[in-house]
Amino acid sequence: MKHKQYLPLTFSLAAIGLLFTGCATEVKQADPKASQVINASQISPQEWAQAADKLINSLLSSGVLDRAPQLPSIMGVSRIINNTQQQVDTDSLVKKLRVALNQTGKVITTTTIGLGGKAEDPLAKEAAEYNAAMSGEKASVTMPYWTLSGKLLEDRVVSGKNTQVTYTFQLSLTQVKTGLAQWEGEEQISKVATRPGVSW
Amino acid sequence: MKIASMKLLPTAVFAVLVFTAGCATTNVNSVERADPQARPNFIADKRIITDASLAGKVKILAVNEGKVSGDHLKIQVRVENNRSKTISVRYRVEWVDAQGMMLPTPTDLWKPLIMQGREQGVIEAVAVSPLAVDFVVKIQET
Repeated sequence: MKHKQYLPLTFSLAAIGLLFTGCATEVKQADPKASQVINASQISPQEWAQAADKLINSLLSSGVLDRAPQLPSIMGVSRIINNTQQQVDTDSLVKKLRVALNQTGKVITTTTIGLGGKAEDPLAKEAAEYNAAMSGEKASVTMPYWTLSGKLLEDRVVSGKNTQVTYTFQLSLTQVKTGLAQWEGEEQISKVATRPGVSW
Repeated sequence: MKIASMKLLPTAVFAVLVFTAGCATTNVNSVERADPQARPNFIADKRIITDASLAGKVKILAVNEGKVSGDHLKIQVRVENNRSKTISVRYRVEWVDAQGMMLPTPTDLWKPLIMQGREQGVIEAVAVSPLAVDFVVKIQET
């Protein structure tokens, strides 16, 4: 008799337990090398990296990097302007490019010369200055042979229920001595989103 | 009986039209030099098929290999969409050094490739590392 009394309570607890199980957020590991979520209004880091890879292919195919008088040549990273509507970590994007360019063995990036006099690695800059002061020599800075600059752009075209968004990644490699862009590349990623006929 | 079948004719014609419209092709026509001046360096390749359906849809025609920027391996895999409608696949190129070790790069990712009906496309990649001597091209249907 007492057991029967507890029966509804047991069922209620089981039902609540099932309910919470159903509400649990499903999480699974994703391949960081693949874009598994496609969103027309946003561009994923993987998609920027895809564009970056194609730009590196283009830069290597051009043979421009071999024109430097000594290899590996020094490259400084200039400004990457983000003209898209979304927040893009341009430093992270540039880092991918830098790592890949470094792997070519043709370019090394300076971390003590940056835009507006700001060093990416201030400690390295200070240490070099300190060493120079201690040895009584004038501090010398190795100037870059190349600078890398770029721009991220976004264009939207709407026609009826369809919206086409085109993201453009532009890069320029400038020879510091002449101030001329020796190589320029552009990659585009285009997406079309269709609005549903009935919106709730 | 004859009148009944005549009544059904417009319905049948309409059905055929709807069916044909739904299967509209996006085939690509092209023109090129009859006697190409380019001399590609096509290499012998080994294919590992685990998705027979994809192999039927996307045909690998040839693999062209060359060197850029002195010592960097460059490949172009010519592929063809065997179907009469647009196909979307993704591919990834992995590079291998002389010891058979994979050479990972931060931009080594799955990339999309969209081909119109019966269109030929190119999967192109340049090895970032000059140590690359071999490659593996992976293709997957999306």
